[in-house]
Formats: sequence, structure tokens, C-alpha cells
Amino acid sequence: MGSPVNSVPPNGALLEVEDLQVTFAAGGREIRAVAGVNYAVEPGRTLAIIGESGSGKTVGCRAIMGLLPAGTLISGSARLRGTELIGLSDSQLRKYRGSDMAMVFQDPARSLNPTMRVGKQITEAIMTHRKVTKAEAHEQAVELLRLVRIPAAERRFFEYPHQLSGGMRQRVVIAIALACRPKLLFADEATTALDVTTQAQIMELLLELQQELGMALVFISHDLGLAASYADEVVVMYAGKIVEQAPAKRLFGAGGTVKMRYTRALLDAIPHLERPAHTELPVVSGRPPDPAALPPGCSFAPRCPSAADDCRAKEPALTEHAPGHRWACWHPCENGGAA
Amino acid sequence: MAAPLPDVQLATPTPPPLPSLINARQLRAQRMGRALRLWVPAGILIILLAICFLLPLVTTLPSATRGNIIYNNEPPFSQGHLLGTDVQGVDIFSQLVYGGQVAFEISLAVTAIGIAIGGTLGVVAGYASGWVDALVSRILDILIAFPALVLALVIAQGLGPSEFHLILALSVFGIPAVGRIARGATLVIRGLPYITAAELAGTRRWRIIARHIVPNIVPGIVTFSLLGIGVVIILEGALDFLGYGIQAPQPSWGNMIANGQQILSAQPEYVLIPSIALLITVAALNMLGDALRERWGVQ
Repeated sequence: MGSPVNSVPPNGALLEVEDLQVTFAAGGREIRAVAGVNYAVEPGRTLAIIGESGSGKTVGCRAIMGLLPAGTLISGSARLRGTELIGLSDSQLRKYRGSDMAMVFQDPARSLNPTMRVGKQITEAIMTHRKVTKAEAHEQAVELLRLVRIPAAERRFFEYPHQLSGGMRQRVVIAIALACRPKLLFADEATTALDVTTQAQIMELLLELQQELGMALVFISHDLGLAASYADEVVVMYAGKIVEQAPAKRLFGAGGTVKMRYTRALLDAIPHLERPAHTELPVVSGRPPDPAALPPGCSFAPRCPSAADDCRAKEPALTEHAPGHRWACWHPCENGGAA
Repeated sequence: MAAPLPDVQLATPTPPPLPSLINARQLRAQRMGRALRLWVPAGILIILLAICFLLPLVTTLPSATRGNIIYNNEPPFSQGHLLGTDVQGVDIFSQLVYGGQVAFEISLAVTAIGIAIGGTLGVVAGYASGWVDALVSRILDILIAFPALVLALVIAQGLGPSEFHLILALSVFGIPAVGRIARGATLVIRGLPYITAAELAGTRRWRIIARHIVPNIVPGIVTFSLLGIGVVIILEGALDFLGYGIQAPQPSWGNMIANGQQILSAQPEYVLIPSIALLITVAALNMLGDALRERWGVQ
């Protein structure tokens, strides 16, 4: 992988991911879902990983958590406060899961056991990691329910998941993830299944909790709007690689300087209220490439409006062109690419 | 003070009632039907169980093994013999009751063994995956591949006739059947995010199985087991009929059909009565299983 990482991740990074590669063997073919990814997250910061379906954003995080099926080839490095996670056995990883890093999933309807009271599911997570009595665990669980702003927490403790709304369930899922005060929280499309109002509430909650607990938050989404509103740093992935990486302030807002055509296209695909009604929403034309048969050169070239011959010949490397802003493109947009 | 609105404005015409997709009566009928589908077979089974296990305790039934040859071939509804007597003068109703006890005892025992052993194997195989799963699944496949009746026959023959041996022989059918269902259900549950979440939280494996998997596969296992009980009752009857199960003079439904068969043309009721008992029991079990499946949304 020729991605020159010029700047060493800043000192005190909580999670450092270096040249992470994930390869699945499927029917004799090798499919590289993640092809060399580098990023770092500091405590108390929010990183957004953005990309279309199949761009490798979820697989990358699952690899770090050790959630991929046996037989998946994972190489590179992911260090949590200096401890290498890649290559650890399941039982070794168990020490870090929950207590150091936790994950919130996309589907709150299926992230909770339907036959178990929600409070019980929280105390189970607490008692797995801490030597506490049942009464103490109960107390802590109610406290967690209050922390995730669930009203009447004492009563909700004894309810079953089907008695809660989608947003409420996702709050419970977050409470479980926070049960042992992790330092790092992955939110894998954690708000996608919720309606927009609830989505905003959950994102606000995550950020508030992040401030209260000093966690690092990595949220995976296909929604650049969310990243623009909530992230400190944004990583845009395409076909298993990072194509643009920058502080959120640099990409969005007034005078944003988006350099990648792909990022621009994702931004343009967000509906805006200011646009006149019935205007056609721009879409990213074409389909995401088949990871088993990537085109030569830049993998976005077949869908890129400004692709030239050199794009199809040689792959651009992710390079830091401006302080903190990296992109991988031969012909970056001028003026942020605004149409 | 505002002037009262003129009547013209107040009297808005009542809007026509909205056409509803389903009216209240249909809804009520639907609910009724659903309740009936559950409680009719459940009631039949409760009555059958009460007749077989409670009736002999509260009243004195004529002997089901010995009879007076003088009163043989009595027709149904004769004095002291509700359903008449057979060739040897043995009371048919008593035979039906004690035969029913045997049928229920054996089928419930076989199903319990199936759930205990087959269920455990299936859940462990489904959750552990890898070589454990491969090994258990192949063994279950082999057992399923044998024709159940032939295999049970061979085992019953080898062990010798007794109720306990019959239970063992029929368990060879019960264990792999439940095992396969349990494994399949476990695989479905295993793929759900809350199992991953529990694993992520560092929950121990046995705890995930006991608290997160088993409670969620119970509906599937129960509905399948109800159907399984019916099948076991039929298999047990078949083994008795063939002479490899419960031995005369101990009554069983299969025995009764076998005995009656010899005089089928003269007295068809000797075959008909136990057959109808068998039919009602198995049909009620199947209907109850279907109703529960519908209620619990099990596939």
C-alpha cells in the first residue's frame, strides 16, 4: 500500500489504526474489503467514517473489535492506548470489549433480547466486568438509564424491549454499551433506523455523554449531514480506502474546501430545504465497484465527472496536501467543487 | 361577548362514514376464530388426559386385562360396559383408558428426552459451530436418514418388549428431530445483533446460551414438540400393532387395533374405537401446535 502517512498520529491518541487491511476469501476469490486504512482518534474527540454501502466502513470497525468470522485475513495494526488489538485471541479481546471499547449497532429492534427485561440486560453487562452485588448492579443500571435520559428509569428497568419505542430502545442499547464506561465507542449507523427527530436526539445524547465521560466516539454513517453537524474529523471511504480525510470544519460550512469529487457528490445528494421544490436530487451516478474486480487506477474514475486518462492509469495516493487535510485525487475540485 | 354563531354554520352535514377495510364484526369473528383454534384442541386434550389419568382414580373401572368370557362381545352401551366388551369379555372402555395412559406416558417421555438431549445437542452445535457443529449435525443426519419405524423396530426387538424399552427405541426418532430444529433456530438467533452485543459485552458463552438463546427458541421447540408427540403416538401404536411394543394382556391402542383386526368384518367397532381415539388425539395435538405457531409467529 502506497499511502505515505506524513504526520505521525498525535501523541496521546486513544486508537491508532495503521494500514488496516481486511480480506475475505469467498469461493476461491479474495475480496479486499478494507485496503489499507490509517486514522487516529484522541480521547474526547469524534471521528466520522462516511461512505456508501460496501465501502468497508463497517468491516474496518468490526475487524478492530474482533467481530469478523474466523478465516478472515486481517493485517495492519490497531492500537488501543498502545495495545495491539489485531491478532489477539477472542478471550484476550474479551478483556477490552465492554470495558475499553464498546459498540452500538444499527438496528435497535434487534439489538436487545426480546425475552429479557431491559434492566436485566444492563446489569448483565455490568456484572460481567465488575465485582458488584446484584443490588449495586441494579442501582448502577438505573443510574445508566437516567444517564441516557430515559424518564421513569426505575419503572423502565422492569420493562421488556417491545414496550419501548425505537429511540428508547436505542437509548437502552447505548446504556448497555456505556455500562462499563468504555474509553472508545463505535456507533455503527446507530441512528439510521430512527426517524430524523429521534436521530438528532440520539446524536446529541452521544455527544453529551462523550463530553461527560471523556470518551472517543467513532461513528459510521452514510450521512455526510450528520458528520457535518457532529464530527470533529471526517474520513471518507470508497472501495475499502480512505479517499479524503480532514477536520469537519475544513470540509463543511462557509468556505468549505472539499477536494474529492466523491465527497462533493455525497454532499450534493443531501436534500436541502432551500432548493426549489421538485428539483431532481443529484445522485452519485453509477454503482459502487465490485471489490473483487476493482478498475485499474483510481477506483472512483468510472463514476467521476472529471476523470481523465491519468486517473484510469495510475492510482492516486492519499497525501496530506494541506495541514490536516488529505485526499487521494489527481484532479481535486477547485472552490470546494460547488456546482 | 361574541355573538352566537348562526345555526347554519353549526349544522355541518355529518360526513359519510369512512369505508373501513375490515369491520368490527369481521374483527370479532377473526378473534373468535383464533381463540377457538387454540382452545378447542387444548380442551379436547385436557379432557382426554383427564379421562386417562383422573377417571381411574375417582371411579372403579372394570379390569382392562381380565374379563368374564360369559359377557364377551357385548355391544356398546350395554350394562356396566360403556363401549362393550371384546372377544374375551374384557371391557373396551377400560382398555381405551389404560391404553391411552400408555400412549401419553410414552409420547411425553420420548418428547421430554428429545428436548433434553436433542435440544441440548442442537443448541450447542448451532452456537459452537465449527467441528462440533459438523460432528453433531452429521450424527443427527444419519439418525434422521434411517426410516424411523424400522430403526425403532430393530431396537425394540433387540431390547425386548417393555414400556421403558419402547421409550428408548422411539427416542432415536425424537432426539434428532428436536436436535435439528433446535440447531436451526439457534443459528437464526445467533446472527441477531443482541447476541453479538452480548459477546461484545464479554458475557460468558454458557450465559449467552442460557439467557439469550434458549428463551428465544422455546416457542419453536414447543410447537414442533406438539406435532412430535402426535407422531410418536402413531409410531408407538404401530410398534404395538406389529407386536414389538406393549405386550398383551397389557392394553394399548395399537394392541387393540391388532386384536380387532382379526374380526374386522364381523365387529368393525373393535378397530374403529381405538382408531378414533388415536385420530382425535393426534389431530388435537396438531391443531394445538398450529394454533400456537400462529400465535407466536413461529415459522
